[in-house]
Amino acid sequence: MDGQGTKHRILMVSDFFFPNFGGVESHIYYLSQCLLKLGHKVVVMTHAYGNRSGVRYVTNGLKVYYVPWRPFLMQNTLPTLFLTFPIVRTIIIREKISVVHGHQAFSTLCHEALMHARTMGYKVVFTDHSLYGFADAGSIHMNKVLQFTLADIDQAICVSHTSKENTVLRSGISPEKVFMVPNAVDTAMFTPSPKRLSCDEIVIVVISRLVYRKGADLLVEVIPEVCRLFPKVRFIVGGDGPKRVRLEEMREKFSLQDRVEMLGAVPHAQVRSVLISGHIFLNSSLTEAFCIAILEAASCGLLTVSTRVGGVPEVLPDDMIVLAEPAPGDMVRAVKKAIDMLPGIDPQIMHLRMKKLYSWDDVAKRTEIVYDRAMQFPTTNLLDRLPRYLTCGSWAGKLFCLVMIINYLLWRLLEFLQPAEGIEEVPDIGPLHAHLGSKNDFCEAQEK
Amino acid sequence: MKSSDGNRIRLQPMWRKVAYGGRQSGYDDNYTDESFLEEMVMNANVVKRDLLKVMIDSVSISQYLCIVALVVSTWILTLNLDIDECTLLKLDVGLLLVGFSVLLLTTCPFSLKLLTKYVLNISFFISGLYVLAPIYHTLTRSISSDSIWALAVSLLLVHLFLHDYSGSTIRPPGALNNPKLTSNISLNASIVTSVLVASRLPSRLHVFAIMLFSLQVFLFAPLITFCVKKYHFRLHLLFSFALMAVALSVTYQLHRMFFTVLLALLVFVSIVCPYWLIRIQEYKFEINGPWDEAKLCFDITE
Repeated sequence: MDGQGTKHRILMVSDFFFPNFGGVESHIYYLSQCLLKLGHKVVVMTHAYGNRSGVRYVTNGLKVYYVPWRPFLMQNTLPTLFLTFPIVRTIIIREKISVVHGHQAFSTLCHEALMHARTMGYKVVFTDHSLYGFADAGSIHMNKVLQFTLADIDQAICVSHTSKENTVLRSGISPEKVFMVPNAVDTAMFTPSPKRLSCDEIVIVVISRLVYRKGADLLVEVIPEVCRLFPKVRFIVGGDGPKRVRLEEMREKFSLQDRVEMLGAVPHAQVRSVLISGHIFLNSSLTEAFCIAILEAASCGLLTVSTRVGGVPEVLPDDMIVLAEPAPGDMVRAVKKAIDMLPGIDPQIMHLRMKKLYSWDDVAKRTEIVYDRAMQFPTTNLLDRLPRYLTCGSWAGKLFCLVMIINYLLWRLLEFLQPAEGIEEVPDIGPLHAHLGSKNDFCEAQEK
Repeated sequence: MKSSDGNRIRLQPMWRKVAYGGRQSGYDDNYTDESFLEEMVMNANVVKRDLLKVMIDSVSISQYLCIVALVVSTWILTLNLDIDECTLLKLDVGLLLVGFSVLLLTTCPFSLKLLTKYVLNISFFISGLYVLAPIYHTLTRSISSDSIWALAVSLLLVHLFLHDYSGSTIRPPGALNNPKLTSNISLNASIVTSVLVASRLPSRLHVFAIMLFSLQVFLFAPLITFCVKKYHFRLHLLFSFALMAVALSVTYQLHRMFFTVLLALLVFVSIVCPYWLIRIQEYKFEINGPWDEAKLCFDITE
């Protein structure tokens, strides 16, 4: 392959990045770290969080642009279509970017940046982290936006095979263009407790936002039933959300105050310390593209009980997870099965297996291949690309074409007003670890 | 090329639909198996609709259209002074009695307590209306008649558009769920229309009589028809067709244009729309699969 071995200059774009916390945020962070290790240049672009605005450097010299756009809804910037063009263009030219990589389908900043990058003729890669249905108005709108972005994409990445099927259906792109690159877990951070917990009392840990989509209502049904059947089981519930009241009501109603501990929101740094106090991890999500929480629990040596939804069945081998239908009866049966399996589970062995199964280093190498493939695509001009948008729908297709034409004109105007030669390029300072010679950084720790 | 492919398949492990264990050797990450999308289900929950059933269901809408047409006819007749206030008051009393008897006959657990409660409420309502009649009479004196008619027509359209045809905004005693916002807006639009129309009448007694009439119909007719429908479906159909005949004949005598509009509307609602719905059913396309959000199989009682 031509592209192999070349070093890319990657711009990661998403509305979701640190200090916000979640699956997408940690995916971008760990992937960027490992790509830096592989010798690529990585720059992250996100919107301003509070007064965190401007350029920041995080671990290992990862440069983050906090673009001064305020989020307006659920950490998303206001969709303006064209207004982000000048700053996206300046960042791309300043950093001499070769690949623009957008994350998450409901990040408006990501869609806009990908559109501008396409107009300027850069290679674009998109990662989809979530699943969507096809029925409600919100999904239909989101799917149309996704179709627009993916109509002219070089490569797309999905985090599980189910997510790939979903993305292909939603956007209508060829499945050959969609790569399955999963999430991973920082196994160096999520280690099991050094001494094995006794099995006299079984602790079931739940850590999730207590919202409808995460199945908090299922927990309300399952917890009292499990407590009734197994007198030596205790629950620890970490997380906060609108459904917390319901869980607390349930606790009052069945007098389970001494057996169900509610921790409230758990900061990510403390997730491990909560996880290692338990034997079984219970995930009750109603929809999930991948579920990093399961990986974190398994890496801490916990046996997982989870609902069989979305990409969850693909995430762990069958002997490390017990799956159940999202119904209270089946969940209770799965918990029983997990309790029976428990004596045969050694957390240390589980942790070592997880080290082999998942590493961010592997994820970065697989993503690198996707970039190489993207670079092989020939550069096309606007006229070649317009027909791809036209196929998106009888009305939408024409609308998309119009948007792209206006964007092209805007680009020419920007080139005239602020020529690329006038934008100062940033000198590369290289990855920091090369200068500091630090040995115990993140990816090496994983390789050990 | 083909044979080497065959060798490869024999030598290498089968591709599995799993995310763990790194890249599967011999397969690229964009490898697409035959199992791709095999769990997709199309049109699993599509209901096949029957034309006749849809047409019969649409009778509820036609029935209410006729009721409104009759109210409008009464308004026009009163405004033209073809009906005097005494006839109108007799009509009010008659309607009240008929409505009461229907309500008592169709709601099974008949109790004296409920009846006294109704009577008390209605007497309060009527006396309140009588006291307020002079205010309604002069309420819109400073506004030109054209504005009033334009407003009345548009509010009536809003009322018809947002009306809750499946149930009744005024709930029968013991109803579980509350009425929706749109049906409340609809009810309010109809009451404002009544006030506007009443304010153009010559005397206070006229105003009182017409207000009582309109409010009776707009508030309680949906309840009565709902009770009839629940009681016996055949009776509901019979009642609806009788209403349609009465409405058409009354409007025919009143104004040809009004008659034509009503007839066209009835045909559209009860024949064209059901046929249309059946026709566009074939474009219905539903996709389900493992990516769908799981539905909870129990009720969430907050």
